[in-house]
Amino acid sequence: MSAANKRITIDPITRLEGHGKIEIFLNDEGDVQNAYIQIPELRGFEQFCVGRPAEEMPRITNRICGVCPEAHHMAATKALDMLYGIEPSSAVKKLRELFYMAFYCTDHTVHFYALGGPDFVLGPNAPAAERNILGVIHKVGVEVGKLVIDTRRRNHHVIQMLGGRGVHPVAGLPGGWSRAMTKDERVEVEGIARQNIEFALFSLKLFEDVVLANQEYVDLVLSDAFTHQTYYMGTVDSSNHLNFYDGLIRVVGPDGKEFVKYPASDYMNHIAERVEPWSYLKFPYLKGVGWKGLVDGPESGVYCATPLSRLNAADGLATPEAQAFFDKFYTTLGSQKVNGRYSPVHHRLATHWARLVELLYAAERMLELSQDPEITDPNVRPIVTNKPTEGIGSVEAPRGTLTHHYQTDERGILTKVNMIVGTTNNYAPIAMSVKKAAQGLIKKGTVITEGLLNTIEMAFRNYDPCMSCATHSLPGQMPLEVRIRDADGNEVERLSQYV
Amino acid sequence: MKTLVVGLGNPILTDDGVGVRAAWALAQLLAGHNGNGSHNGRAEPTAVMEGLHAEFDNGPASAAITVTEASVGGLRLMELMIGYDRVIIMDAMMVNKGLGAGSIHRLTLDDLAAMSPTQHSASAHDTTLITALASGQQLGFHLPEEVVIYAVEVENVLDFNEEPTTAVAAAIPEVVTAVLAELQITNYRLPNE
Repeated sequence: MSAANKRITIDPITRLEGHGKIEIFLNDEGDVQNAYIQIPELRGFEQFCVGRPAEEMPRITNRICGVCPEAHHMAATKALDMLYGIEPSSAVKKLRELFYMAFYCTDHTVHFYALGGPDFVLGPNAPAAERNILGVIHKVGVEVGKLVIDTRRRNHHVIQMLGGRGVHPVAGLPGGWSRAMTKDERVEVEGIARQNIEFALFSLKLFEDVVLANQEYVDLVLSDAFTHQTYYMGTVDSSNHLNFYDGLIRVVGPDGKEFVKYPASDYMNHIAERVEPWSYLKFPYLKGVGWKGLVDGPESGVYCATPLSRLNAADGLATPEAQAFFDKFYTTLGSQKVNGRYSPVHHRLATHWARLVELLYAAERMLELSQDPEITDPNVRPIVTNKPTEGIGSVEAPRGTLTHHYQTDERGILTKVNMIVGTTNNYAPIAMSVKKAAQGLIKKGTVITEGLLNTIEMAFRNYDPCMSCATHSLPGQMPLEVRIRDADGNEVERLSQYV
Repeated sequence: MKTLVVGLGNPILTDDGVGVRAAWALAQLLAGHNGNGSHNGRAEPTAVMEGLHAEFDNGPASAAITVTEASVGGLRLMELMIGYDRVIIMDAMMVNKGLGAGSIHRLTLDDLAAMSPTQHSASAHDTTLITALASGQQLGFHLPEEVVIYAVEVENVLDFNEEPTTAVAAAIPEVVTAVLAELQITNYRLPNE
């Protein structure tokens, strides 16, 4: 069998929802020519929504995804604020943000312990069957597993208490929130926030012990194979501190200079979508820079929207412990301060560390909000009086900036719906990361081993891509199948596990 | 014996929500059946977006049955199971060389571990149900000894639609009947009788 013109398919991707597929094309020399990720997208969401009352959107859109219904609920609710022209009171904003911080605490926890962490705790070459939360428990101890489950449980309790339902929240109203928090609940949430801070600090220590103390992993994190210089997007408050719930969208360049800062309602002036003939995915890029293909650098409009990019886009974090880890993150990874702010970290695997810094910020912010005198204000259900027209709402979903955009007739019946979901922002950088990792690891004569394939997967797993917004289809045990095809598309070899 | 019946899926994604629809239908039947029953749940969801959580006291013979719905598997599903002795899962399944849309498979956890076929027993942002249950056991949770999965083969999980395809819709009463038999409930009446 000749190595020339082979096409390698990794299908489906382990621990990634949906029938995501990685395709790697080899050239005549058997080196990687191109690589990209294929994700089947759901169809007909706009048609499904048009004709329905807009106020149903917080409850419809959270059905799109079983993974981050809270993020869709919040973006939809904020779109309704604008649609009905009603500015939420500061008490409403704080209550929503408190709810949202509980969601972040569960979501980031699962990613680190069940998805991203196992690659480091067990090593990229560990058998696939061990690289999961069970393996982490075996390696680090049962107590860690209990902490993870307890963290999820207490924060789901808060989500249910404040959001009205356990999985698909229902509390978001135009300009309001359907349920105020009682004083007793406030006390309980304050206690939960303190436990979250403790857990976040524990997780950061674990990361230091497991990853930073291991030179092999540090080298991997810093290696060129996992490095890209792109633009970075994140939401910031008026002090340019990161905020998950509200603020302006800020984009910084690969050099760390602010490129643009805009309200979410302006997104169409800044973001365009590129259609490529070889994929049905649309690749968002920065209009102000332009599309130059899947390439790095200041001339390429490719941007990234992840925990790493949010830290890169912000000047700092608004809570004390998280700010201390923010400083440590940049100084440890060799970033220099330029004009008072750290230059961006471009190492994609550092995203896992950034995610834990965000976990600590979410926990600390949750504590702050739970102690705010306004947080138990009973007046959280304003009356809507304005005629609806158009609304755009955005939040930072754990896996990227999430934007909802609705237009209605004067009765509030939807006429147009558009969304940019978190993972979509990262389609271009994910494709670039997969290609680069493959180029570094697959060379003429290289034997394809499962560990090697997993290293390629590590290149995209750090983005925490969620295909739930795209599709739910998935075989449970995540069979891994590699198909190698010649230039004519004939299958010449098949490697598989669990199939 | 405490029993949980959970329907998995997304009811606005054509066939994907077949498990959830079966849970709604089951809850409706249990609410109307003439046992010593009482229920405090929403047995008849008024709209797609309602969440189902209905509890039924099925008399001294088989004790409490809880019917609920969920959207993803893995840790979340494992956590739902804590405290129950028996769990019946209803889910969609897509098999490349299956028996055709609407066919129903009764699976055990061993089958799931070997074949891994259902739509929601795993998730990108979570772990598989098998791994989650193994983790839960390691952590000492009370988890069910008996887990049965009713999986319906589906054909469309990519289009947003509240209506399942014909073959899959037709399978829902069959799944409900099978689950009722599993629960040893006989004194019910199907809506079309």
